[in-house]
Amino acid sequence: MKNSNQDLSVHYVSHQDLSSTGEDTLRLIAGLPAPAGLEDRVQAGLRAAPAKARILHWPTALLPSRGLAGSWMRSAAAAAIVVVVAGGGWGIYSRVQPSQPARVLVMPPRVGAGGGFSNAGAMRTPQTLNGPVLLHPAPVQPVQAKTPARTAKTPLSRGQAAGKAAVQPVAPVAK
Amino acid sequence: MSASQAVFSGWMEISESAVDERDRQHAEEAALAALVSQYAGTLYRVAFSVLRNAADAEDAVQEAFMRVLRHRDTLGEVRDQRVWLIRIVWNIVLDRKRRAKTRPETDDVADLARVLPCKGLSAEEIASAAQHHAHVLACVEQLPPKEREVLMLSAFEELTSVEIATVLGITESSVRSRLFRARNLMAGLLDHARS
Repeated sequence: MKNSNQDLSVHYVSHQDLSSTGEDTLRLIAGLPAPAGLEDRVQAGLRAAPAKARILHWPTALLPSRGLAGSWMRSAAAAAIVVVVAGGGWGIYSRVQPSQPARVLVMPPRVGAGGGFSNAGAMRTPQTLNGPVLLHPAPVQPVQAKTPARTAKTPLSRGQAAGKAAVQPVAPVAK
Repeated sequence: MSASQAVFSGWMEISESAVDERDRQHAEEAALAALVSQYAGTLYRVAFSVLRNAADAEDAVQEAFMRVLRHRDTLGEVRDQRVWLIRIVWNIVLDRKRRAKTRPETDDVADLARVLPCKGLSAEEIASAAQHHAHVLACVEQLPPKEREVLMLSAFEELTSVEIATVLGITESSVRSRLFRARNLMAGLLDHARS
């Protein structure tokens, strides 16, 4: 038993304190002798136990103490395991195709169902981003009209008026 | 002729490595037997202090040495074999106590009187002492586990505070503080019972 000041503080308790804290009982129990023949029974139990617990029991022929033959067979077994694992991995890899890029599906034109409203040939145009805004717009050259504008005093026929209105150029805004 | 050549030629049945292996096994068995004869009693007392059942304590000691047998390859690396063994058996008995459904044998006052030494006492004194011990043990069971473990290990006078700390895996200062709390709690519990 080691005697030091540190040990005294743990074990040295007055008799009154021992009884007041119940440590006399604990020390009494801790000092009980072991039953006779305990060592023999433990030794017998250890002798009856298996020599060494192993997860995998190597066959005797493959033990390292058998020399070169055992090591050769172990190497062959290890190589066979490696081949099986690598072959299995390659088999899985060769079967799995790389994922294809997403394709754009062309939707068939919608056929108007019987009944209901049609879209009247309107097509939806996506909203586009606002383009760049010119801070200093380029000067616009006014287009010279070749024919002078008619006055309201000489009315045209209905067909002529319609044709003229269709081709009449837009007059530039005079500043 | 090398060992491998001898194996292939077939005339040499026991190789040199096999002889070394056998010697090593003999040495390990001798070391284990020495451990059993030296520490089985200590381990039994530690186990009995927790389990308070002779058969269970003996089983715990057996299991502890079985664990040592399984790890006998690392036996040479152990610095303090006594503390190492106590730590093994301590973990075993704590685990068993957690799993045990039956009460300890010595919870009965009559059994306690049979187990504890009582030389030179009258029958009345023996009964009174057994009752007192049973009451103390009941109070110990009411302590928090950490304080209870330190208090029980401190009852072994051969264990220093450093060794108790090693067994429990804590620092020595923790051992002291827990022991202080345990003693205060026990005094309170016993005073409360007396009053």
